[in-house]
Amino acid sequence: MVGWLSMAAPQHEQAGAPISEAEALARLRQSDDPSQQYYAAWWLGRMRCQHPDAVPLLIEALRQRRPRDPGAGVEENAVARNAARALGKLGGPARQAIAELLKVLEDPDDGLREAAARALGELRAEQAVEPICRRLASGPDGAGAPQPGTPRLMEPCEALLEALGEIGCASGSTTHVLGVVEPYVHHERPLIRSAAARTLLRLSGDARWGDLLVALLDHPQLQVRRAALMDLGAAGWRPALEPIRRTLAENSLKLIALKGLVEHGCGEPGEEALLACMDALL
Amino acid sequence: MTDPDTLQELITRLRQASSSEELLLATRQLASCGVTGAAPLLVEVLGFNNPGAAVAAVDGLIALGQEAVPPLLQLDPENYGARAWAVRALAGIGDVRGLDLLVDALGTDVAASVRRAAARGLGNLRLEELAADRRREVQDCCLQALLAATSDGEWVVRYAVAVGLEGLGQDLAPSSEALARVRQGLVALSEAAEANPPVVVLRARLAQLRLPLP
Repeated sequence: MVGWLSMAAPQHEQAGAPISEAEALARLRQSDDPSQQYYAAWWLGRMRCQHPDAVPLLIEALRQRRPRDPGAGVEENAVARNAARALGKLGGPARQAIAELLKVLEDPDDGLREAAARALGELRAEQAVEPICRRLASGPDGAGAPQPGTPRLMEPCEALLEALGEIGCASGSTTHVLGVVEPYVHHERPLIRSAAARTLLRLSGDARWGDLLVALLDHPQLQVRRAALMDLGAAGWRPALEPIRRTLAENSLKLIALKGLVEHGCGEPGEEALLACMDALL
Repeated sequence: MTDPDTLQELITRLRQASSSEELLLATRQLASCGVTGAAPLLVEVLGFNNPGAAVAAVDGLIALGQEAVPPLLQLDPENYGARAWAVRALAGIGDVRGLDLLVDALGTDVAASVRRAAARGLGNLRLEELAADRRREVQDCCLQALLAATSDGEWVVRYAVAVGLEGLGQDLAPSSEALARVRQGLVALSEAAEANPPVVVLRARLAQLRLPLP
């Protein structure tokens, strides 16, 4: 029996990959086989690797990006994308990558910009607030317009909007950021409206945006209800307890949302009521 | 309500359902009527790969209680999807005949949603009618399975283990060794660590407060 004594060392549970840290670092260091690098970058993030070589190697992988060649197999940009995602998960030591991630935020590849925005959000990089706002400033009809012939938008709006909420605002710049984000609550896509409301709620605490997210829990599409659940959780909006309990979606997602209400929220309903609701969903 | 005509009518309606909406509606009717004899068909619905209908069937099976246990235990172990729902039903019913299946699910199932239901179920078994020796045996079995799962890789499973330990602890004698082990498990779950989110810590501490006083 493993038992409760082994609880302190859970790093290697469900590794998903039978490779060692040394092996992952070696695979990322070589450059002959990008698919090996791709996997290694993912692994380092998944395992939240704290080896001192990890961050410099991931920064090096970020620099492998190049103009897009859709014909190539596992292209260098895919490696860079996974490197950005991994850096977002490595916390404090990865902050030395912020300068390079800010450059990636200006890359012509929108998939890379998306990964960089999410990583900058996770790293709470305040330097990213201005560049992200610049990318969003043209509003739903500019940055938020569909790219012809693809399901993507001109900018990775969801990631950019959510990153602003993650980073938070230095006092003084809040009004400016709110002004950039607010037009997106009228975007034609409900997922973008949800992302915008999440960020506005986190930055302002204004109940209007909580109400907007709660209304999305009644949306006919399951995908939208799921997103609203995640957004209410990220914002820790406790007044949403009862609507979360009632919405038609998997209990697993409701539990994640309620975890967010417990951990990021405050006020009423209190923790005991939230935990009782979670217990009933198990 | 145990009218055989009603049951036959509901079964026919379910068998003839030609869309997933009709199936959902028919399952809800069968699940909510509480008719004895509905259990085998509700168990069959668990394997139809229709999550809405399966949720309704699980509710119906839990409402039927003990009567639903034999068909649930007869499910083909290879029918993975149906088995996951069966674990939820057995966890809600709390019949001790489900013990082995719940222990197995908590220890080995690949889906966190199934492991979390099993953990809750192991703290929710009805033991009051068992002889004292057998009761202790079952409690020990639940305890071992729950303690082993305090190191589960998914927070939601560890959360459910805290809930399960709390439930199990309610029926244990205040000075028993078993209750002391429940406490140790909850202490481990209430330790703040990077990999252990605050919600698990909070829930484990709440469980500690609710245990019988030593």
